[in-house]
Amino acid sequence: MERAVRTRLLEAAYACIGRYGLGKTTVEDVARQAGVSRATVYRQFPGGRDELMREVIAWETTRFFLRLAEAVAGIHDFADMLEEALLYAHEAVEGHALLQQVLATEPERLIPTLTVESGRICRQIAEFLVPYLRAEPRLRPGVDAAEAADYVARMLLSWIGAPGRWDLTERRQVRALVETEFLAGVLLDDETRSGLPSH
Amino acid sequence: MQSVAEAVAEPAAQELDAAGARVLDAALRCISRWGLAKTTVDDVAREAGVGRATLYRLFPGGREALLDAVVSREVARAVGRLEAGARRSAALEDVIVAWLVDVATTLAGHPALQFLLAHEPESVLPQLAFGRCNALLDRAATLTGPLLARWVPNPEQQARAAEWVTRVVLSYTLAPSPDADLRDPASARRFARTFILPGLARATA
Repeated sequence: MERAVRTRLLEAAYACIGRYGLGKTTVEDVARQAGVSRATVYRQFPGGRDELMREVIAWETTRFFLRLAEAVAGIHDFADMLEEALLYAHEAVEGHALLQQVLATEPERLIPTLTVESGRICRQIAEFLVPYLRAEPRLRPGVDAAEAADYVARMLLSWIGAPGRWDLTERRQVRALVETEFLAGVLLDDETRSGLPSH
Repeated sequence: MQSVAEAVAEPAAQELDAAGARVLDAALRCISRWGLAKTTVDDVAREAGVGRATLYRLFPGGREALLDAVVSREVARAVGRLEAGARRSAALEDVIVAWLVDVATTLAGHPALQFLLAHEPESVLPQLAFGRCNALLDRAATLTGPLLARWVPNPEQQARAAEWVTRVVLSYTLAPSPDADLRDPASARRFARTFILPGLARATA
């Protein structure tokens, strides 16, 4: 029950941020949006507005990466999975209306919290990647699966946040990126990976 | 204040006379002590031991111009060290290692930057994320990519390599890893051999 209330408040806060922004959303707004009293909001989020804003950023970040994990579920090949993850995540960032709105209007209120969250997300992505690496027959000798998973997770976050000179809507480019910057040091070459993209 | 990327775009910081350099040094000390928001032009003038009028003559745009000049000079210094690192390197591996060590050491040991990351993250971190990070990566690639020409002939591959190294340094500096301390030459070399050089060999083959 408590959990349902908390989720309802986070959803209400999310809607309020879309309307008023991160800086201007108040506890009062969220309480009204959720149809509860201010006391109920404070019971869930004793730190008030600031805690609520931090928690809603953490909540949506987690949801974003859960959607990403779902999008690549069932892809067994490590490189194929990373390729799909980059294509999906790039499009999801570009199409995330609230993220784009906040980035355009008040990035200084979002990015510090998001940076803290990205440490947690990076560890979770690495945990998600480790089983792929442990099962990967082409893992280079001497490469530690956990360290490689952490490296690949960092590169994923880097490119998802900023594509740089890469067009991450182009599957061939994404393939080249995965095979070189992400995996050239992690997996051994073989005939399917040494030449042009196999797709 | 201009963005880091804009500052990186004009690395040829104007020749500053001794007084100008003293003012920029003073500004860095003030930022290391009090942060950006609380540093005023008067603080910097007092710290530098110059009058307010002198400071405005050196930096006619006032506080904004002064802060822009601080960033531009730090960027120009960094690019100068990267150039030197490339010059004394024999192999591609050496220059990559030299760059990783140099940038990681500089960022971690930069008192003003570290103060801001700890106490005013909103003044720095937005420069390193999303759209502004794209601009920063682009400038870094434009400035440092050509320094790789001895080993990587293709300009597009140079830029690609420089962008990659920039991302690695940003990630491992902002969120230190127990696996790799890029400030340590042995650790940086092992890291570069493991994760970067095989990919550079592939990209430049």
